[in-house]
Amino acid sequence: MFLTVIIFTYIFLLIFMTDKGIKSFSNSLYYVKEMVIIMPVILLLTSLIEAWVPKKTIENALGEGSGVKGFLFSFLLGSFSAGPIYAAFPVCKTLMKKGASIANIVIILSAWAVIKIPMLANESKFLGPEFMMARWVFTVISILIMSIITSKIVKKEDLPTDIKEENKDAVLRVDEHFCIGCGLCTKLSPDDFVMVNKKAKVNRKVSKEEENEKIKQAMDKCPAKAIDYV
Amino acid sequence: MDIFTISLWIITIIWFAVSIFKDKKKTFNSIKMSSGMMRNMIGEIIGILFLIGLILTFIPPETIKKYLGQSNIFLSTVISAFLGSITLIPAFVAFPLVGSLVNAGASIVPIVAFLTTLTMVGIVTFPLERREFGFKFALVRNLLSFGFAVIIALLMGVVM
Repeated sequence: MFLTVIIFTYIFLLIFMTDKGIKSFSNSLYYVKEMVIIMPVILLLTSLIEAWVPKKTIENALGEGSGVKGFLFSFLLGSFSAGPIYAAFPVCKTLMKKGASIANIVIILSAWAVIKIPMLANESKFLGPEFMMARWVFTVISILIMSIITSKIVKKEDLPTDIKEENKDAVLRVDEHFCIGCGLCTKLSPDDFVMVNKKAKVNRKVSKEEENEKIKQAMDKCPAKAIDYV
Repeated sequence: MDIFTISLWIITIIWFAVSIFKDKKKTFNSIKMSSGMMRNMIGEIIGILFLIGLILTFIPPETIKKYLGQSNIFLSTVISAFLGSITLIPAFVAFPLVGSLVNAGASIVPIVAFLTTLTMVGIVTFPLERREFGFKFALVRNLLSFGFAVIIALLMGVVM
């Protein structure tokens, strides 16, 4: 949609104001070139982090009273994740059920949003390494202060408690609010998931009893933790 | 290529080689996942890159300098922070855009405010956050993030 508008603007310019159109195009070329240089490496880096950073170990060390180690691990978890901030909501929800503290949740959400490693690489490319590092330092300090303030104001009782009842009729579903459209589930379990409008959907009725290895794997590997029985 | 990009490439390629050597299937599965995510963004990325050309051609650097550089910095910072809060574009495509504004003479203070709220404050995603963590948590987190985004921006203005 957005791209279409841009393309039409260019076509219009090339017909009616050829010189401006050509100038715009050549202005953009520098940024296109820079993006082409940095994009494959960011893609590769994101994949490698996804494959090799032991997230499970990190997630198990975030409880109340986890102290400095908990803070550190929360920063690591957020920094080594992929996807936008709302992809972090279900992940944090799961962590909270496992006992992660409010302060650690704030750190994970904020770190996930602003200081992801591949994004830092991109920032450094377009704004310079000094800029990136200075902003990183200030942001880390701010996140730490924010997490402490939030844990003083918001208590665990303030959070919605929705311990799901074991529902016998629950069927497999992809939460479209959280699906980031990576298509991993359709590759891991092609019989059960399809892509519709860039979002994954379950293409048949699957109850908990029918769960198989492939579905389990898709649920586990989903980067947004958006697949569940509801 | 600058030294930073070169070293990033070298480190990543070494890691990639080790990764393939250790577990080929795992490596390619996660590459497939990330390229799926990337493919969803590619239209936006190309659109933004060519929008930059239009901005640089039609908005003279003097104008950018005037509104984002010399006029009331505090005001333009708060406005940028607000714009960042309501905008929903991936940070990935925001960096070249703001980079071009900085090159054209914009002050980095409003730019940093925009970048920080863009990712950390989400007015559009607020209902989702409220559903998952409750009203109080979502409100406190977003307000604090907004405030700290402005503080980070002002501090950046001091050191850079």
